[in-house]
Amino acid sequence: MDILSQLIGGFAVALQPMNLFWALIGCALGTAVGVLPGIGPALTIALLMPITAQVAPASAFIMFAGILYGALYGGSTTSILLNTPGESGAVMTALEGNRMARNGRGAAALATAAIGSFVAGTIGTLALTFLAPSIAELAFVFGPEDYFALMVLSFTSVAVVMGRSMVRGFTALFFGLALGTIGIDTQTGQTRMVFGTLELLDGVSFTVVLVSLFAIGEALYVASRSGTVPAAINPLAGGSWMTRQDWARSWKPWLRGSVIGFPIGALPAGGTEIPTFLSYALERRLSKHPKEFGHGAIEGVAGPEAANNAAAAGILVPLLTLGLPSTATAAVLLAAFQNYGLQPGPMLFATNPDLLWGLIASLYIGNLILLVLNLPLVGIWVRLLLIPRHYIYGGIVVFALVGVWGLSTSWMDLLLMCGLGLIGYVARVYDFPIAPVLIGLILGPQAEIQLRRALAVSQGDWGVLVSTPIATMLLSIALVVLVVPPILARLRSRPKTEPAISTG
Amino acid sequence: MLRRLMTTGALALVLSTGMAIAEPAKVMIPANPGGGWDGAGRHTMAAFAQSKIFTDGASFTNKGGAAGTIGLAEFVRTSKGDDNALLVTGVIMVGGVITNQTPVSLKDTTPLLRLTNEYNAIAVPANSPIKTPQDFIAAMKADPGALSVGGGSAGGADHVMLALLAKHAGAPVAKINFVSFSGGEILAALGGGKIKAAISGASEFRQFAETGRIRIIAVSGPTRVDGLNAPTLKESGIPVEIGNWRGFVGAPGMSEAAKKTWLERFAKLHQTPVWKETLKTQGWEDAYLPGDQFAAFLKAEDASWSSALKEVGILK
Amino acid sequence: MSVNPSRQDAHRKPRPWWLGLGVLAMGALWLNGARSIASTTNYIGVGPAAIILAVGMGLAVLGVILITQAMRGELVASPEGEEEAPPSRSAFLLALAGVSIPLLTIRWLGFPLTAMLAFTLVTHAFGSRRTGLDLMVGAVLGSVAWLGFSRLGISLGPFLPLIG
Repeated sequence: MDILSQLIGGFAVALQPMNLFWALIGCALGTAVGVLPGIGPALTIALLMPITAQVAPASAFIMFAGILYGALYGGSTTSILLNTPGESGAVMTALEGNRMARNGRGAAALATAAIGSFVAGTIGTLALTFLAPSIAELAFVFGPEDYFALMVLSFTSVAVVMGRSMVRGFTALFFGLALGTIGIDTQTGQTRMVFGTLELLDGVSFTVVLVSLFAIGEALYVASRSGTVPAAINPLAGGSWMTRQDWARSWKPWLRGSVIGFPIGALPAGGTEIPTFLSYALERRLSKHPKEFGHGAIEGVAGPEAANNAAAAGILVPLLTLGLPSTATAAVLLAAFQNYGLQPGPMLFATNPDLLWGLIASLYIGNLILLVLNLPLVGIWVRLLLIPRHYIYGGIVVFALVGVWGLSTSWMDLLLMCGLGLIGYVARVYDFPIAPVLIGLILGPQAEIQLRRALAVSQGDWGVLVSTPIATMLLSIALVVLVVPPILARLRSRPKTEPAISTG
Repeated sequence: MLRRLMTTGALALVLSTGMAIAEPAKVMIPANPGGGWDGAGRHTMAAFAQSKIFTDGASFTNKGGAAGTIGLAEFVRTSKGDDNALLVTGVIMVGGVITNQTPVSLKDTTPLLRLTNEYNAIAVPANSPIKTPQDFIAAMKADPGALSVGGGSAGGADHVMLALLAKHAGAPVAKINFVSFSGGEILAALGGGKIKAAISGASEFRQFAETGRIRIIAVSGPTRVDGLNAPTLKESGIPVEIGNWRGFVGAPGMSEAAKKTWLERFAKLHQTPVWKETLKTQGWEDAYLPGDQFAAFLKAEDASWSSALKEVGILK
Repeated sequence: MSVNPSRQDAHRKPRPWWLGLGVLAMGALWLNGARSIASTTNYIGVGPAAIILAVGMGLAVLGVILITQAMRGELVASPEGEEEAPPSRSAFLLALAGVSIPLLTIRWLGFPLTAMLAFTLVTHAFGSRRTGLDLMVGAVLGSVAWLGFSRLGISLGPFLPLIG
């Protein structure tokens, strides 16, 4: 087969010692920036761009690919151990992962995240190798109305992270939606809810919200309760590795997460977050242990972690086959290609097969390196929790400062950090869930933009929303997801006294 | 505690003075890393170093947001009279200052020069009945609402260009159907026929046009673009010329001597093969326009953008 | 799906009505904001004010519900069934000071010293009493971060603005 022989040629490039070295650097660097909130792969690659002047293209892209994948491995670590996601794709991981860590099963959570990332990354890379051209065509099939339907479907996933009361869940969701409306409206250029400040014109940065609600809110909460209660976490209790049962409960979520993540990642407006929402919702519905969700269900870590890694492979599909950047990271990679005077796309496969197949081969190797790098690290990461608690949280606050101050050096962002940190604290005290805030912040603006784009193109005809088979199908699934489970729950729980919908 | 604070302070002081390098250029980039302005700033300073014209190094500050006006405000506030402080600027900032009605403007800086330009292009799906700029104008005249045109952010160069085209077509500017996109989404939407046409940087369209997914029907510069088989709007009888230019301004109150030095450095750089190579790899048009001519150009841009933005309905 | 707060019958039911009031106020702010946005719907039918209006109304309704729930004593603090520890006000305030001190100091003390102060305040909120050591660790952490990021090309502001 032609693809196979080219792939073997690619391995010959990627396995050169020099390139292996760059892959290793990229993976290590990626893991490190994944851990830091606010410093993502896009920024890191942008900052390393000058390296393109000195290094051969194959080596540079092999390193960049390592950063892209590594950031996703690293992003889950702080989610699980410290309840402070390093990347937006790791928000859902924090939900179950941190509960597991608190129950002394942090190592198992980290392991399922790492192995899931490896499995999904490899599946995604395989799909990239063999299916890329056909998957890439999806980009042209999906129109604004289809994206809107996808957003609606993602919104239905919010229901499962609502916490123990609908009112609180909805309050959190609407708070996120409200934050998402701040800034310039892209379709008309009007400013909305900026209260006369220039700093808010571009909206509230996702990083600031993520860091403040999770890291700062958590630090304030734990501090206020630390005097009276000794550290509850014993990271090494309860076995340090995945049990037989953990494996049995993890492998299906890994596969399902990969299947959800890859195609959505390949869409120009897909990204890595939406697959994690969908995967989490799906695992919660399918799980044989629904009661454990909210208390550390391993499926809730395995699924989303697989989904975001598969999505990362998906992101490369439109970039390499069409030259179409779909995320910030892809846009920076495109700029890197252009620095070498190269334009990604079908022509590049013909003119520079060594470079492209070397890059693809390096993805397999990078995944392996990351697994080898991360599995032994699990033990070390878990021991991180043995550091005195005051140093851990002091360090978290300093790194939160880096994340918030580093990008924009904006005083307004620091003010937002304090305000949102306080809100995060109140949310913890009164048991409001945080994930819906972030879901609202991510999905709200996107759903609004896609809806208004669809309506602009149709000149205000609402029928456009169900005008394509994809949109109709996605909306139907959303409807089924919303309507069926409550009915099923009612039927199932008839002998019991409590309705099964309240979710711990 | 105070004493300890002071010892650490002293330690930090030693650290920081030890770090100082001999008079590097302080370049403010009014956008986050990775974008067009970031590239303009970093690639230009790299070309300076590579061509040995200015080798004292450069420190970059990225301060993005609000079409560059936040970086502009910060630059004006912090670098008064600093002969080594430069700000990357461009047409987007001119528009941003007008729409955001910021208290500071480019008038508060020392104009140095325009360096590069990226012209826009109009593209349509490959199977579109629109084949020439005239077809486009006719379609717009017939039913401006039915001609959905994608572009960058509302109030940006793409939007203003569409408004100017509508004005030429005699179609009411308020009726144009401009659909804002970000990143690569616009190419997918155009290639998939979701929108009727799109306006964006000519280089962005190139690859898709080569593979036959879309067709470029016109470019917005004064001359044709190499390798693009598309007429300029001007030669098609449509007097619209709009480009996404970038350049540099100096700190407010920069000394005359320093201004002269910097202009000489840029003039030298403009001649070097290193710079020509940079222009080529980055896909930039050479748009060198130094000193007083640039200052006059800035004034003209400000006036034309103010009126254009009013007509599009962005500015009240 | 009524909430089942089994532990609410403690000696005194907390009534955090202010929470609902805050949400209601935010809703009012958004509703008010929607009025000042010119609704140029053009072809879209959904103008830029529509979502602001919807979000504002949602928040207002939720605020009212939260207030009534609070007054009925249904809105109680009880995170996830953990053994509830009585909060320590001083520790909380110390941590809050650590988080907000950058607002005061970052412009004139710069990042490393600000990080040092924030670090020390937070460690003390967690009960650390080794002020000197904490200041040292914080300063090292802040300086390393500053140096590392400026090597990468990210500016965290001047090292020590006081001395230029």
